[in-house]
Amino acid sequence: MSAARGRVPSVEHLVARTLLAGGLVGIALILLGGGLYAAHGGFHHHVLHLNRPPGGAPAGVFVSLRQVLDGLRRRPIDPLAVTALGLVVLMATPGLAVALAIPAFLAAGDRRYAGIAALVLTMLLVSLLVAGAVH
Amino acid sequence: MDLITFSLAVLFTSVGAGVVGAILGLGGGILLIPILTIFYRVDLHYAMGASIISVIATSSGAAASYLRTGLSNLRIGLFLVMATITGALVGAFLAGVVPVRALELILGLALSYSAFTIIRQLHDELPAHVPDDPLAIRFGLEGRYHDLRLERDVPYRARRVAGGFVAMFGAGLLSGMLGIGSGAFKVLAMDHLMRLPMKVSTATSNFMIGLTAAASAGIYFGRGDINTLIVAPVAIGVLVGAYLGTRLMARMRNTTVRKMFLPIVAYLALSMILRGLGIHLL
Repeated sequence: MSAARGRVPSVEHLVARTLLAGGLVGIALILLGGGLYAAHGGFHHHVLHLNRPPGGAPAGVFVSLRQVLDGLRRRPIDPLAVTALGLVVLMATPGLAVALAIPAFLAAGDRRYAGIAALVLTMLLVSLLVAGAVH
Repeated sequence: MDLITFSLAVLFTSVGAGVVGAILGLGGGILLIPILTIFYRVDLHYAMGASIISVIATSSGAAASYLRTGLSNLRIGLFLVMATITGALVGAFLAGVVPVRALELILGLALSYSAFTIIRQLHDELPAHVPDDPLAIRFGLEGRYHDLRLERDVPYRARRVAGGFVAMFGAGLLSGMLGIGSGAFKVLAMDHLMRLPMKVSTATSNFMIGLTAAASAGIYFGRGDINTLIVAPVAIGVLVGAYLGTRLMARMRNTTVRKMFLPIVAYLALSMILRGLGIHLL
């Protein structure tokens, strides 16, 4: 094995730390949103829609980042938008981990895996675009 | 059911799904979707949205721990996920062109065969000496982890890399065409074909499924399939479960993990054969 291989655990620790941090931040936001929702009496007043109502999304369903940001800007703040932000952070975490792995592999002198990580990241973005076009 | 009762019930259910998902390298969807739709009467689209988040939460929680302990192999994961995502992209284009029922039947039969091979290997704790594969050496598809159960370091190296890569492409293809998760196929390819230790296979699958799920999560979000009130307890429960699952798996034998994996493959095989015959379990 090359010398670069010997330093690889630092890349793995960076990816591990990113995944952990993304998971924890996401969950913290979900909990914060839940706490605010409870403080606003949401759990007592809200009717949970377990089925998708025809025409329009029920409360708790956000279909774009803009909607989430609008909910965060609203005063009083929309607690469910805080929860949705936590979910967005969770969704972005794996891609962020791969993105951070690219410079980490380069720093470790492993250009091959920096290239593979860059290719995977590109594929993730392409699949998002393709899936968006299909659906 | 009121919102508080629903949230608590789903939270505890999701802890269980997270434990199983983290140990077996599955997203948890195979458990969560039937439970949410049958027992909690959740719309299938919302259940699928919850499942995709559960996959990412399981992956984040479990892979973070497995990468640190060396059970999850970052290089093998990145190398193989290239094939899976490419397969999923091709599969998305082929959906509607290829006869799906025939595919499901073939897949079901292939999984049945895999179930029998798992039974044959049921008592193999670690793969016997495997011949060197030039591709594995070239791409550094090897590693070492400390097995808490065996109380020793376990070195390993992938074999039949080309075959494994093709199998991962196939897993992605089926995932793209049939809209099913492919965690079980990834584990099978790494364990059975590439002869990696079972725990390395499931731990590495945990890392990979997060990446593939992240690729499609935005679509579920944009379609309005992610209902925060349903998904929030799922995400919290699964993350807690995944943490507990990693602690449990580190102390398990490879054979125990394989024994837990067998009924999942058997269920998938049966479900695929029935779908091929036009009978949907869900």
